[in-house]
Parts: sequence; structure tokens; C-alpha cells
Amino acid sequence: MDFLHSLDSILVSTIVMSIPLVFAAVGGVFSVRSGIMALGLESMMMVGAFFGVAGSYFFHNAWIGFLCGMAGGMLIGILHGLLSVRYKVNQVISGIGLNLLALAATTLLMQLLWNNRGNSPQVASVQTTAGFLLGIPMVGPILGKLSVNAYIMALMVLVSWFALFKTRFGLRLRMVGENPKAAATMGIRVHKIKYIAVLICGMLAGFGGAFLSLNHMDMFVRDMTAGRGYIAVAVAILSRYNPAGVIVCALLFGFCDALQIYFQGGAVPTQLIQMLPYLVTLLVLTIGVKHIKAPEGVGKYDDE
Amino acid sequence: MDAVVMKQIVKQYPLVTAVDHADFCVEKGEIHSLLGENGAGKSTLMKILYGMTRPDEGEIWINGTKQAVKDPYHAIQLGIGMVHQHFMLAQVMTVTENIVVGSEPVKGIRFDYKTAVKKVGEMIDQYGFHISPTAKVSDLSVGEQQRVEILKALYRGADILILDEPTAVLTPQEVGELFRVMQKLKSEGKSIVIITHKLKETMEIADRISVLRDGRMVKQGLSLEGLGTSDLAKLMVGRDVDLAIVRENTGIGEACLKISDLTLLDRNQKKVLDHINITVHKGEIYGIAGIEGNGQTELIETLTGLRKPEEGSITKGKETIDGDAKHFLRNGVGHIPEDRMTRGLIMDMSIEENIILGYHQNSRFSDKGLLKIKDIQAYSEKMSDTYKIKSSGTKALVRSLSGGNQQKVVIARVFSEDPDIIIVAQPTRGVDVGAMEYIHNKLLDLRDEGKAILLISADLDEVRCLSDRIGVIYDGKIEKEFRAGQASETELGLWMTGGGRGEEGKQVET
Amino acid sequence: MRREQKKQKIPGPFEINGVMLPIVSLILAIMISGIIMAVCGYNPFEAFGAIFAGAFQSKSGLAQTLTQATPLIFTGLAFTLAKKTTLINLGVEGQLLFGAMTAAILGNLDLGLPVILHLPLTLILGMAAGGIFAAFVGVLKIKFGSNEVIATIMLNEIAKLFCSYLVNGPLKAEGAVSQTEKVLPTAMLPRIIAKYQLTFAIVLAVLACVAVKFFMERTVKGYEIRCVGMGSKAAETAGIDVGKMMVTAMFISGAIAGLAGACHVTGVDRRYIEGFSPGYGFDGIAVAALAGENPVGVIFAGVIFGALRSGAMVLNRTTSIPTDFINVIQALVVILVAAPLLVKEILMAGRRKNGFFT
Repeated sequence: MDFLHSLDSILVSTIVMSIPLVFAAVGGVFSVRSGIMALGLESMMMVGAFFGVAGSYFFHNAWIGFLCGMAGGMLIGILHGLLSVRYKVNQVISGIGLNLLALAATTLLMQLLWNNRGNSPQVASVQTTAGFLLGIPMVGPILGKLSVNAYIMALMVLVSWFALFKTRFGLRLRMVGENPKAAATMGIRVHKIKYIAVLICGMLAGFGGAFLSLNHMDMFVRDMTAGRGYIAVAVAILSRYNPAGVIVCALLFGFCDALQIYFQGGAVPTQLIQMLPYLVTLLVLTIGVKHIKAPEGVGKYDDE
Repeated sequence: MDAVVMKQIVKQYPLVTAVDHADFCVEKGEIHSLLGENGAGKSTLMKILYGMTRPDEGEIWINGTKQAVKDPYHAIQLGIGMVHQHFMLAQVMTVTENIVVGSEPVKGIRFDYKTAVKKVGEMIDQYGFHISPTAKVSDLSVGEQQRVEILKALYRGADILILDEPTAVLTPQEVGELFRVMQKLKSEGKSIVIITHKLKETMEIADRISVLRDGRMVKQGLSLEGLGTSDLAKLMVGRDVDLAIVRENTGIGEACLKISDLTLLDRNQKKVLDHINITVHKGEIYGIAGIEGNGQTELIETLTGLRKPEEGSITKGKETIDGDAKHFLRNGVGHIPEDRMTRGLIMDMSIEENIILGYHQNSRFSDKGLLKIKDIQAYSEKMSDTYKIKSSGTKALVRSLSGGNQQKVVIARVFSEDPDIIIVAQPTRGVDVGAMEYIHNKLLDLRDEGKAILLISADLDEVRCLSDRIGVIYDGKIEKEFRAGQASETELGLWMTGGGRGEEGKQVET
Repeated sequence: MRREQKKQKIPGPFEINGVMLPIVSLILAIMISGIIMAVCGYNPFEAFGAIFAGAFQSKSGLAQTLTQATPLIFTGLAFTLAKKTTLINLGVEGQLLFGAMTAAILGNLDLGLPVILHLPLTLILGMAAGGIFAAFVGVLKIKFGSNEVIATIMLNEIAKLFCSYLVNGPLKAEGAVSQTEKVLPTAMLPRIIAKYQLTFAIVLAVLACVAVKFFMERTVKGYEIRCVGMGSKAAETAGIDVGKMMVTAMFISGAIAGLAGACHVTGVDRRYIEGFSPGYGFDGIAVAALAGENPVGVIFAGVIFGALRSGAMVLNRTTSIPTDFINVIQALVVILVAAPLLVKEILMAGRRKNGFFT
């Protein structure tokens, strides 16, 4: 296959592959900006992916599946919020604990629902592409092949950026993340803001997860996210906790995923190619992030 | 009518009664000084007034109405503002953002930053604060950050202002500036409570005082007329205290610690230490005076091997000392760190484990890579006796000790190793008067034994009363050296703010 | 009412600390999973009765319990040790795989060595592989400030894929299954009782725990590692090389994980089979939590989870209850042990006065 010929298909899959990461990472940005670490993204994505498939399975409608995926993510989000805000749990441990719980629970539920430990049955998926854009010269073939979700993603990033940096809510959220004690004395309901932030985080990560199962695969498989939640955390850091930056960073990872898919079945063994996104993440962690500081108040509590 | 009346306030913590049936009352338009030692309950009482903690018993009346102050937000609504000792600011956000957050102007769904900047700018001008409303807080000096804190309260219309140890971090000049602002606020009819243990300042600014001791209010609403600092000290401590230990220095010996041309760059290649030259002799205490953040921390870190200087040398007698912290410790440079909670001690380890820290490879404590558990225990028990460390036993966690006893653990560790040179930083920060006296006496004992001591302290009184010579550090440079007793407080303050050179020039001219 | 709130702060019968917290957490986790079972239509009492019987009442059950416990003790110990310097070593799984693969390769090499040399060499090189793999993360952390949680997860995936490549490619044995050739008899870890899979690895695991306990409490290096974990700045001030200690702890942690993998390959399967680890590395997190991060406690915690696992396998043969609920229990233990306030609140349910989200 000619590489140039397939360039546009690589670009399309770059964007498609980056969608779940963008959603999860922007969710992570909200969480971290409010002072709560985002290591639980993996669990929110995984539960989102599972609930997405379950929703689509029971309602025979992929869009309801997405709603269920978001609800699933929010469920984990509020759990994470409760653990870190109300019960003052070490946020690294609570994130990891939830990730373990999500893996165990989804595997268990799969067996209870479908009597299969490895994967769910196929469900209605979303294959809606923005076909009406195909006619546009030059970029049309790319834009037209993109899932509608790519456009939802762009809108989501714009709204998130505006909310964080231009609104009163965003100012308060950032203040809570920087110095919760100060925010509390200024009459800001610190806990309320944190709960809102983790709910947003769960909703977005859940959507990202549902996208994995409903758009990429149309089924749920065990350990579906396979570390993507952690990559999303890396993306959030690398973006300097800015939704606009998330898009750029996520595209880098999406590109690795796309290349990996492109090269599959070629001369190089599949497993070695599949390492690419993980290797890139590792590389980014070693060269890119040393001087990026998280908000001051991350992991702290307002009554300490 | 009184602005604040607190009646029979009780606050009980698991192990102590922080506030014990205290009455407190502030009149409208007065500056009221709340005096007391560390741990006397001043901050707790004010936190109760500000709604940060709830009292177990007692009543609070604000402007004639009985109130149960639920939280700081409620306090703000009642017109109470508080400037904390540790500022509550978001460092990466701007002055304006810090001030308006919580009661921001909005335009539609957007936060109206422009209007906010304008409003804050007007207030800054009104009080003559000289800060930019759009500056990042992290770019401001400590004194300027304090002004942001005051503005935060005033922006919310506070007419009762609580200042918690506001002068601790300021230069004498900045203190003067703060007092000017306080007088202006008073003339506007605002009531101010200033929490402090500094007596001179109280005499200067306060209209009336109240004194807390061990949680009890020993004097309430006392007028300052006819009282002197020693009377106040007696009220605070409950006995006569020797505020300034003076002990003649009998013999300064040969040069021991020699610091030559020490230069250190920070990450942005800026000089944080700029050709520092200091010589400390045997049997001498050399004090470093300066506003925090002028290179003291870096100087300590360089002198203890925690950082490597770009230029210059450190010698003890004839031998050069360099290398890492381990090397410095082994070469007889003792170190009492400025931040005992993070650098000096490991809070969740026992006294035994802390008392060997840094010297644990010493043959007294370990052999062939194994710790001598029994010897360490015996040694800790001996040290607890010698240094009067009050604890439930040598297995007790350091966290469970009081500030003064924690510092004694550090001191016992360092002093008993018999170092020739001791780098002492903030030795009495956060300790009570009793422990302070003890520590000061110990330092003077060591001086008389012929040790070379470098003392770095933010407490100007401490530096002045202990040091044989004083070097003033400003912007990483030693600006000026004084002999003991030569320098007045104002003169020191001037040099500490970098204003000394100009003044000196003027003096020469006239 | 205020009086009551005050009382709750004073240490009293409801103060949960020390050994109690993990035990109460485990009981709560089992109860929660019991409720889930009941909801799914199983009788939790019968189920746990069967698990207990399966795990302890027969010789084979007991052997199976200890066999299951072995890797859990190793990985729990590995996680515990890294945690002593505050590092979260989520890479135990990857280190275990590398150790296993190295042992599988070494065990297949005909070096003409007797068992007394070949087996230890195989195990030691397995340890070295895991150790170096983990120490690499430590180096990344101190040199570049890389978040070790993300780094270890990435390395897990890389290790998994790399081993998968080897076992499906150059090292694949004849046949349909993705596995390596059987190791030579000289590299086989002997079994304690011939007919069961239980090997002397359990002895190694227990010894490792005791050794780590001694190392941490009695040696200078162990003391320094603890200092780094509890107060890195104070340790630095005391002339302890913080970075070196972190890398050392990670190396030992990884070596223990590698030993777990090597023991599995030389003892249980006698070859590297793809997917042999159901996530032992992550199970170690729960073991460490249940052990209260005490090296000797790890032995007991490992046996408890091993028993749950082996009992559940028996149960799975007779009923259709999936063994995965053990993983749910483990995850709940991790969360609950980290949340003493939550445990306390569950125990005092009904006495709550203030709102839930405030």
C-alpha cells in the first residue's frame, strides 16, 4: 500500500484515535485544576466504555449508550470526589484503587450479564460521519470521513476552555485548586466546586470511554482502556492543564495509534508496533514535563 | 457600643484546653493588641472570632448582636476580616484575581476582569499601596503580599480587622508603613486587633491590650498608660524574664570558618549569592540579619553542602570543605536547619531515630551496616536528660512533642557531636519563652567553649542580642558588617532593604 | 450537640488504627461483595462457607491456597518496599513478566550446570531483570521528575507486549499455544509434595519478607530508606543520597517482583505461557494494603488472599459464581484501607449528623 495514498486515512484515524484521549484529558484538566489528582481517569474511561456498551445493548441505541457511558463515568467521578474530598484519602491511592475496582467490576459484570469473561456481544454503534462535508475541496475527504464526535470534541474543548478561563466559575475553580483554604475564607463553597469538577471529569472521561467501545469496536472487551487513562493523565500534564493544549498533545498520541494501526499486518511484528504509544508517553514523561507545575493545592484539603 | 464582645469562650482540643473561659472585647475605632506567648491561645481565640473553628462554649457579640459565626464567609459578611500569618494567596494568579474572587463582577456569563482591575486599582491608590493590580502574586515581596491580604478584607467591606503576627515578616521600615496604614484605617472608624508577642510594637501602636496565658485571659482591655515592656513581659510569661540575655564575650580566637567569594546562581542564572565573604572566629557568634528571601536559605544550603556554589570556597582553619552534606557533617560542620519540621526532623519517626539522623554511620550508632539498637536507645535516654526533652519516652514520635522540645532534639543531636562550626538558622522560631531562654544560653555556652557559630535569624532582636558581629545580607550580598552594639535597629533596617549605601553616601557628603 | 461532635475527636473505642483498620476493611469488603452476590442471586453465606472449606479443609486445598499465596506475597512485598520511599511501583506486573521471561530463557540454556548452580542462577538473573527494569523507573523519577505511576503503567504494557512478541515469535515452542519450551530439569524449582503445584517458592517468599523486615529495621541502609520515605528533605540534610536510596529501593522491589515471575516459571508452569499472570502485580497492591505495609504482615495478607482465590476456584467448579469477585474484594480493600474516615463512618452509620456532601 502506498504511504502517501493512505495519508488521509492516517490523518482521519489520527483524529479519531485522539478523541477518547481528548475527552478524558480535558476531564482530567477540570479535576486537577480543582485540586484533585486525575489518576482515576482510567477507571472513569473503563466504566464509561462498559456502560456505553451496556446502554446500547439494552436500549439498542448507541446514543443512549453514550449517555449511559457518561453516567458511568460520573458515578466513578463522584466516588473519587467523595474519597478525596470527604474522606481525605491519598489521591494517588484512591485513583489506583478505583482503577482496580473498575477492572474487576467490569469483568465481573460482563460474566453476570453475558456469561463471557473476555468480551461483550456486539451492540449498535455510532458510525455517523459528517458525509455532507465530503464535497469541500482539499480537506473535504478528511473532514467528511470524521465521526460526528470529532466535531462534538472540538466544541467541547472550546466550551471547556471558555469555562475555565473566562467565567466566574472557572476563576473560582482555579482558586480552589491553587489554595483551597484561601478560597474557603472568601466564601467559595470549596467542596461543591470540587464535586462539580470531578463530575465534569467523570462525564468527559466516561464519554471518551464510550467512544472507545461504541465507535472503535462496537463491543466491550476486558481491560479495554489498557492504560489509555494514564496516557490521558500524561496528556493533561503535557498540555499544562489547558484544554486548548490538550488537543495538540492528544493528536500526537492519536498519531501514534494511527501509525500502529496502519503498520499492523506488515513486516514488523504487531506487538512491537503496539508499543509505540506507550513508548512515546514514556519519552514525553522524560523530556517534556519536568518543569510543569500542577496547581499548588493539588492533594491538599481546605481544613488542614 | 463595642465592635466585638467575646464572653467566656472555651475551646478544648483532645489533649489541651486551648482557650479557657476567656473574655475579650474590642471597642469601635481602636487598635487592640492581643498579647501572649506561642501557644497561649491567641490564634485560636481569633480563629473562633473569624469562624475558622467553633468554640465549645461561650458567646460572640458583633456590633451589639449575638452571633454564631459559622465559617469565615459568615465572618466576612459580619464585617470581620483577617490577615493570616501565612498568607492565603494563590501565587500564580494576579493581585486582582486574588482580591475579587468570591465576589467578582460579572458581565453576562463572563467574569468581568476589566472592571475588577479598575476597582482594585482605585483601592490601591486610596491606601497608597504601590502595587500593580495585574501583577502576579508570586512576583511580589512579602510586604506587598501582606497588602494584598489587607485589600482582600477591605474589598469585602471589613470594619473589624484581625492581623495575625503581621510584623513577623517585615523590615522595620515596612513595619512603619504598616502602622501608618493601621492608623489610617483607625481614623476611618475601623477596629483592629493585632496578634503579637512583640512588646515594643505593642507599645508603639496599640490603644489597649489584652493578655492571654495558657488559654486564660489574664488581663483584658488594659490601657497602656504607665506600663513598660518589662511589665508586659511579666504579664505574658507570668514571671520575671530576662528578655535580652547579655553575656560578655571573653575570648575571640583565631579564624575558623572562612567563606570566600561564595557565589551561587539559581535556575535562571541569576546570582542568589554574590561574592559572599565572611570570617567567623573561634568563640564568636556571627549573626546574619536580613529580610527573608535575600539569600539566607541559599547561604545555609551552600554552607552545609546541600548546594554547590558556582564560585568561591569554604574553609575550616586550613582545610577546604566541599562535597555533599555528608562530607560537611563529617568535617565538623553542625547544622541546625531553619525549617525544623521538614529539614531538621522526620516528624513521624521516634526521638531515637531522629537523634542519630545524619550521624547514624558513626561507630557509636552502627557497625558493619547494622544499627546498634541498644546503644542508640541508651544514648537517646541520656540526651533526653541532658537537654531536658519532655516526652513520653524515647520511642515517642517527634510529632507528638511541642515545638520547643522538637528543637531541643535537633540541638541535642548537633551539639553533642561537638562540631567546630555550627550553622544555626532560626533557632527559636515557634518555641515558647522558656525554651528560647534555654536555647540562647546553650548557644552562648558553645561560644564560650570556643565554637565558631554562624547565626541566621529573621528575628532581628535575636541577632542583635546574641551576635558579636552582624552582617547584613541584601539581594545575595553582605552589604555591611557591624560590631555588636554598634548598629541601631533603624540602621540595620535601612541596610536590610538595600537603602544603606545611599544613606552612607549622603552622610559622607554632609 | 456540640459536645458530641467534640467527643468524636477524642481517641475512644471508635478510633481505628494499627492492625484493626486493615482487618475491618477486609471484613467490610467481604460483606460488600456478599451483598453483591446476594443481589446476583447467590447465597453469600453458602458461597463463603464453600470458599473457606475449599481453601483449608483438604490437603489439596491447602496446597492450592499456598500456591496462590506465593506470588501474592512476593508482589505485596515488592509494592510495600517501594512504598517505603513513597514511590508507587505499579510496575510490579511488568517486572514480574520480565523476571519470568528471563528465567524461561535461562532455564532453557543447556549450560551443563548442576541443579545447585543452574536453578539459583536462573532465579538470580530473573531477579536482576526485574530489578533493573524497576530501577530504570527510579532513575527516570529522580533525573527527569517523571511521574512513576504513569511510567510504570507504560512499562507494564511495553513488557507485556514485548514478552508477547517473544513468546509468539522467536521463542515460541512447537504447537498452537503461545508458550516457550519447557525449562531444563536442572532449572526446575522442586515441588514440596509431588502431586501439587506447591513449590519451595513459598519458603523463599516467607524468607524474603523476614529479610526485608530485618533490612528495614536493623540496617543502616534500611534506616536511610525509611528516612527518605518519611522526610526526604530531612534525609537530604542529613547527608543521605535521596535519589540513590529511591533507586535502591526500586531495584530491590523490582528484584522481588522478578523473583515472583522466575519462581512461577521454574516452579509452577515450568515454562513461560502467555497470560500466565492474571495481574499478580496489581494483586500485590491489595496485599500490601491489607498488610498495613508491614513486610511480615505481607505473609498473612498473602495467605488470606491466596485462600480466597483458591477457595473461589473450588467454588467456581461447583457453581457459576465468577472468581472475579475476589478482585472486587481486593480493590475494595485497597480503597478502604486508605480511607479510615470512611471505615469509621460505615461503622458508625446512623449516628451521622451533618450533611453528606458538606
